[in-house]
Amino acid sequence: MTRNAYVTAFALAALAAVTAPALAQAVVGQPAPPFSLVDSDGRTRSLADFAGKVVVLEWWNYECPFVGKHYGSGNMQKLQREWTAKGVVWLTVSSSAAGKQGHVDGAKANALMKERSGAPTAVLLDHDGKVGRAYGAKTTPHMFVIDPAGRLVYAGGIDDKPSTDRADISTARNYVVAALTEVLAGKPVTTPSSQPYGCGVKYAD
Amino acid sequence: MIPTRARGLVSSVIALCLAAAAAAAQPARHAKVSLVAEADAVRPGQPLWVGIRLQMEDGWHTYWRNPGDSGLPTRARWNLPEAFAAGELKWPYPTRFRTGPLVSYGYEREVLLPAEIRVPPSLPANEVRIAARVDWLECQEACLPGRADVSLALPVRPTSAPGPHAALFAEARRRLPKRDPAWLFSVSPAPSALRLVVRVPHGTALHEAYFYPSAPRLLDYGKPQTLAREGATHRLDLPRDPNGAPAERLAGVLVAETGSGTVAVEVDAPIATGPARTSTIQERKP
Repeated sequence: MTRNAYVTAFALAALAAVTAPALAQAVVGQPAPPFSLVDSDGRTRSLADFAGKVVVLEWWNYECPFVGKHYGSGNMQKLQREWTAKGVVWLTVSSSAAGKQGHVDGAKANALMKERSGAPTAVLLDHDGKVGRAYGAKTTPHMFVIDPAGRLVYAGGIDDKPSTDRADISTARNYVVAALTEVLAGKPVTTPSSQPYGCGVKYAD
Repeated sequence: MIPTRARGLVSSVIALCLAAAAAAAQPARHAKVSLVAEADAVRPGQPLWVGIRLQMEDGWHTYWRNPGDSGLPTRARWNLPEAFAAGELKWPYPTRFRTGPLVSYGYEREVLLPAEIRVPPSLPANEVRIAARVDWLECQEACLPGRADVSLALPVRPTSAPGPHAALFAEARRRLPKRDPAWLFSVSPAPSALRLVVRVPHGTALHEAYFYPSAPRLLDYGKPQTLAREGATHRLDLPRDPNGAPAERLAGVLVAETGSGTVAVEVDAPIATGPARTSTIQERKP
């Protein structure tokens, strides 16, 4: 790279850093930010469609090793199956922009979920990252739980063992399971937030 | 670049790394990890400094003890001879990586994470082997987990001299945050932020400053920290994480550009319960 090209690239990167939309943050205890996204089957899904139900948002990037830990072990699919059977709406969200790691179109998302025996209610395509930014989704995975009244009751990691090691799953405390158990029982969530861990969400620059 | 007498040791360490890499699940490696010692021998009863050395390919980075919005800190699990003990890893001050709206903390190119090894007063063997299992996350834009079993062997002698890697330790120490009682800090809550008030030593001016928090779940890393000068003090407003954990203290590292270069100072100050009162400076416990 010539010096001029380097300087230009640096200037553009600096400009992008200034102009990139900031991350908002969905705040626990407050109404969850409303959204409308197209799912992997082409259907538009709105948070408002699920009023009165418990909703899980799972940020997903199939190429991220932290996501690989929870899908390769079958942990995530098991949770999807178990909780959707109890009436929970499980929305897996991809905010990987075009050309970035983990980017999927609908067909690719469906093929990956079929291959992995995934069982979310829907996979939502957030290619421009608007919903991810509105929630402040930082990592894959990053988990959110919304109660039947539409309030955010949990935001954070899937569990308390930040690693890519599958062996850690059996000894980890799963915060999403704890939150769902409490919210379905009509109880307040004991641990309403935790440190999310994983790969950074691959937002558009 | 590498002194001749060091080549044997370096290549055996590299060979161990490569063997570990070959055995791990992820074949692609963009960080070379090794274990190095500051001295050329172990002296009975005298502390020994060793360090985890990470050498990253261009564009790749590894993480600080608080990785920021994403990532994982490098971790070492020691395997030491009987009666030896390892202290915590020491962390040179990091730099920031911005990817889209996310900010993480870590190191590019190369870093040494030193640790002090306590050596017992009597050593039965004439050679000591220090080993560690190192786990790290290496990221460019995509991330790969890394694991390596690294080790080194040193002779036991009554005296020692600086070893071939001593300069790496000097450089790492230069970048370790200092405890400096001449810097005074106070912290108070401000709307959606914590206000860090810094009284600097006489004659020092801060041109830029950034605070790296030790603990996660306190600050919003993606939002800018704003520095302002008020008479003899500087204040740095640190945006809080709205879903953060309650905190009684602010601990971390202040990295500042002064007229005479970069300074990294340790901060550990109680968070006042009242609103910001910049006129009061609470003295930090030494």
